[in-house]
Amino acid sequence: MERRSAETALIPALQVLSYLFIALGALFMAFKAGSLPASRWEPMSAGTFPQIIFFSIAILCGMAVIFELSKHGLPRTTFCIAWRRLTALKAVIINLVLFTVYMIAMPIAGFIISTFVYLLTTQLYLAPRKATTVVLAIFVAILFSAGPYYLFSEAFNIYLPRAQW
Amino acid sequence: MTDAFLVALGGVTEPYTLLLMAVATFAGIVAAAIPGFTITMAIVLTLPLTFAMPPMQGIAVMLSVYVGGLSGGLFSAALLGIPGTPSSVATTFDAFPMARQGHPGKALSLGLFASFVGSIISIAVLIVAAPPLALLAVKLGPWEYFALIIFALTVIASLVGDSLIRGLIAGLIGIGIATIGPDPLMGRERFTFGYEILTAGIPFLVVLIGMYAMSQLLSELEPAAGDKQPSSGALISGDMRPHLWQTIKDILLKPANVIRSSLLGVFIGAVPGAGSSISNLLAYDQAKRASKHPETFGKGEPQGVVASESGNSSTVGGSLIPLIALGIPGSPADAVLMAAIMVHGISIGPRLILDHPDLVYSMFIAMAIASVFMLLIGVILMRAFLRLLNVPKYIVVPVVLACCAIGTYTLNNRLSDLYLLACIGAVGYLLKKLDYPLAPLVLGVVLGPIAETNLRRAFQTSTDWTLFFTRPISALLLTLAVVSVIYSIYSYMKQRRLMAHRLDATSK
Repeated sequence: MERRSAETALIPALQVLSYLFIALGALFMAFKAGSLPASRWEPMSAGTFPQIIFFSIAILCGMAVIFELSKHGLPRTTFCIAWRRLTALKAVIINLVLFTVYMIAMPIAGFIISTFVYLLTTQLYLAPRKATTVVLAIFVAILFSAGPYYLFSEAFNIYLPRAQW
Repeated sequence: MTDAFLVALGGVTEPYTLLLMAVATFAGIVAAAIPGFTITMAIVLTLPLTFAMPPMQGIAVMLSVYVGGLSGGLFSAALLGIPGTPSSVATTFDAFPMARQGHPGKALSLGLFASFVGSIISIAVLIVAAPPLALLAVKLGPWEYFALIIFALTVIASLVGDSLIRGLIAGLIGIGIATIGPDPLMGRERFTFGYEILTAGIPFLVVLIGMYAMSQLLSELEPAAGDKQPSSGALISGDMRPHLWQTIKDILLKPANVIRSSLLGVFIGAVPGAGSSISNLLAYDQAKRASKHPETFGKGEPQGVVASESGNSSTVGGSLIPLIALGIPGSPADAVLMAAIMVHGISIGPRLILDHPDLVYSMFIAMAIASVFMLLIGVILMRAFLRLLNVPKYIVVPVVLACCAIGTYTLNNRLSDLYLLACIGAVGYLLKKLDYPLAPLVLGVVLGPIAETNLRRAFQTSTDWTLFFTRPISALLLTLAVVSVIYSIYSYMKQRRLMAHRLDATSK
């Protein structure tokens, strides 16, 4: 059995957790599929195919856990290492949060305003602090917020969301 | 047949369509040249722009982005030493040393002309192979179709990523996602849990954009491990002239390498899941093995550039063979092409070539014209691409993410798709970090409903399940699926044994 250091065991530990999480989710879905009513017109009901798929996922996840544990043993890592890796992904997490806020704000603030604010905020967060980059960020934010809106509405008759006020 | 061909020729060669195709080819090259921006992303972002176009024009534009994108990776590979897309990894081995030796123009023109020849050869194979295969596919029953999809998914799962089991789990999760919403035969609502957002199901393009584009873009923001990205301006000096005639002569006088690499690319492209990211490396490896002076490979050998670029560009024709003949996309990029056709109410499958021959011919013609555009634009704008490679990530990432939101919204004009996009993007990034391959998942979403429809049709026709194993084509495909899994396990174990052997050798 090959042992790993706490540092290298982080991803395998998370993978084992993901197998367990996916297996539980798949089992829940498989039982939900089983509760779908049978069809009078065909031998396979609407729930049979999903049931096969979700049970297969659960079985594969179970096999993956067994293989992992039999090959390398229980992967042992620490919260400290996990936290360090997570903080290294600060830029990704902040961008994901900004993007989620952008998606939520678009129906309310409309495409132009939400896109302008999102592009400007993200670029200013990621770009080096220089006067030229600020000017460039404002230019890019205006170009890619108003530009697509008018392109789609004028050229393709597709209307991107408008502000609700 | 002649009528359909002439209709297609007339449609594609309209001046406005040609102009759009030239712009699309340029956009494809630029997109693929920017490290972190993939061909699939470029094709996804083009899709909403084609909604208002006639089907022939829309498909021609999307194929132009595809063809341009397959050669765009060459620019960053040759000038920066960074593959713009996974399809140009092997190109860096020789094109970058050649550029550093003072011949960047020659490296680029060799790559561009090899890409052009590769595309043309792949189109020729596509024209010859797709129609007879489609005629054969029309005769397949639901048993064979179901078996074909099982085969495709096992091949994809075993070829992509490091772990077969995670590939299979990802593929099945994709199929599971596709079961949300109305069932494909009776329209019965499934797994919506009372949420209106799920009643129409999860559109596969939202999954594709979230899983592929968003996870890739977010990965670009991760701190780089070790070395700093070199700036192109500092690296490139020397002769930027293309020397095109000399290049054409060099390649055509020694045609074996370009033909072998192109045919290899076509074959690999036709296998679901095995795309240009594999073909360029295999073609390079074969060229090195066949060479009389393999020691020059990796030091600026022109044949290395030719092999890699013709190997990756020729996958486009190969990957369209299963799409046109069987209605099965082999890669996420092909899945978007399929969506572009379906948006116009045209169903994809073996009947496509029988019912819409003009559309299929227009695809062949568009690819050929896009290949010519790719060569011309690449050669003429060689110097300009050097500047474009310097677009900073802090502009590329948020702008492309905003474009992803536009693409998602315009698919169905549904705001709820935007919430789905944010959720799927976050999950996609997490799965990518945990080393789950995303291609099987995305293709699972596309292939899931086809698999379910055919399985249920098979049982509606006959409740005898042994038909899956007694009908010859179905049995053959299921056997191949099992063989692909066994082969994948065997290769993995062989690799582990080799690694253990090497470790033993180094410890002694």
